[in-house]
Amino acid sequence: MMKKMLVATATLSLVLFTGCSQKEATPSGAGTHNISDASAITGDTVSINESGSAASGNSSADGFASVYFDFGIYTVSSNMETKIRKNVSLANNTSQKIKIEGNCDEFGTDEYNYALGLKRAKAVKDALVSNGVNASRVVIVSFGESNPVCSSPSDSCYAKNRRVDLRLIK
Amino acid sequence: MRYILFLLLSLNLFAVDASLKIETDVEHRTRIAVEDGSTVVNNTFFNILLSDLKISGHFLADGKHYRGEVTSSFISPSLKSKEYVLKYALAQGSGTKLDARLIQASSGKEVFKKRYTIPSLKKAPFLAHKLVSDVNDVLKYPSISWINRYVVFARYTAAKQSEIILADYSFNYQKVIIRGGLNLFPKWADAKQQSFYYTSYAGVVPTLYKLNIYSGSKRKIASSEGMIVCSDVKRNGSKILVTMAPNAQADIYEMSASGGGKRRVTSFNGIDVNGKYVDDENRIVFISNRLGYANVFKKSISGSGVSQVVYHGRNNNAVDAFGSKIVYSSRESHNSFGNNTFNLYLTASNRSGTRPLTTTGTNQFPHFSTDGSVIQYIKHRGGSSSIGYINLKSKQSLLFPLSGKKIQSLDW
Repeated sequence: MMKKMLVATATLSLVLFTGCSQKEATPSGAGTHNISDASAITGDTVSINESGSAASGNSSADGFASVYFDFGIYTVSSNMETKIRKNVSLANNTSQKIKIEGNCDEFGTDEYNYALGLKRAKAVKDALVSNGVNASRVVIVSFGESNPVCSSPSDSCYAKNRRVDLRLIK
Repeated sequence: MRYILFLLLSLNLFAVDASLKIETDVEHRTRIAVEDGSTVVNNTFFNILLSDLKISGHFLADGKHYRGEVTSSFISPSLKSKEYVLKYALAQGSGTKLDARLIQASSGKEVFKKRYTIPSLKKAPFLAHKLVSDVNDVLKYPSISWINRYVVFARYTAAKQSEIILADYSFNYQKVIIRGGLNLFPKWADAKQQSFYYTSYAGVVPTLYKLNIYSGSKRKIASSEGMIVCSDVKRNGSKILVTMAPNAQADIYEMSASGGGKRRVTSFNGIDVNGKYVDDENRIVFISNRLGYANVFKKSISGSGVSQVVYHGRNNNAVDAFGSKIVYSSRESHNSFGNNTFNLYLTASNRSGTRPLTTTGTNQFPHFSTDGSVIQYIKHRGGSSSIGYINLKSKQSLLFPLSGKKIQSLDW
């Protein structure tokens, strides 16, 4: 009987000791006076000024007319045809390259809005090219929601921001 | 024989009592009080410590701002009901110094002691994060090292103007890294957060650069007419997913970290953006309007088949992934624009179970922490904005107020 108890207790002891050795923490730094190991955050980070590199203008320039779009839409509507004709005429009367900038209202998130602005710029480019403007003279860039002309919370304001601006590359 | 038995039993008892034994059940949250021994009280620092303890999901912190000597092991009787007391003293001299001790409340035994130093007081929030991260490790909880990471974000300052900023996760620390110009879509390039990718609009067409935040060295990766955005980086940093439009058509490409070996991953005459590595990183989830509205889809990088991931919502325009976990933002209200509700949902790449993470306000820009256990997001509600965190396991959540200018994008 005593022998059985001894074997059982020895087994229990082994299990308990093993359990303790796996779970017991070594008190980190207990009794010592450690210096910071937070070196990853002590490094001094740079600060760069690119103020001189700002893209200019938040409207069409050089006589071009901005083209406006409905919410979430990237096809040129029929009521924008007059503006397209004006832009085609101006484009065909210059040899300079033309920059077409797509813009959005503030709704939608980061990448999607930039892709939407791109689709709008592409639609205006296609309209110009189909009316005789050489595609190689046109560069398109999306500015997403970064280039608003209006910031009040109204439908008419949002509509002004859903636009494509055109300008000459100088 | 009786003596041997007695000896073995005594050894067991001694093993329990002789040393401070820390056994952590990760489902159990440790009751802890925080005692401030600083000569000059800094409430912001104390509140950051409390926030860190809470969002870890491993502590039940007493919210009272106790005062007491950091060098003393005296535990007030009122704190004996806690498991631990975290004593600290924040001081300023030639730099910022934080002395901290973790004391077992019942016995007064010291479990952990450490001094932290940092040159600038501005970075003190990182000391709080590091302390809580260390205490968490000492108590053998799963790592919360994500709490020590930088957040990098871009915010608009005016039309065609922005700045890129480094912050701690609570946004109490902020430093402008790139000021002026239009620089957007910052994305960490490596696990150690030495460099990030970003899009510059300084040239005629958008250009993707990689900037080392310590040396300032800047390297051009690629440029594209229309748009170019680094959406995701492989865990080992070797490859990146980029939305670009070389043919005036926004699609997702994969390329090497240096910009070589470009491979087109999606091809659709609409909008494909926001590619994120998912599962084993041989597949992506992304946002596409191929059903007429923004929604989440999945495809393999090499194959052509595309499958829909989300089957609800009217506009699901942002997604992030960690392993097989997917988090996305979904608009469920009818308004095209205005005061819409966007909520965050968690799902899996095999669509096995979807659950809402938020129920109020506009919740966007979801990002997983580096271990996938916490989600960071931006919340707009009632005219105010916050940076939010949701611990998926403990279901703890935190909101830190944001002020001022609109955030364009962020990465953690």
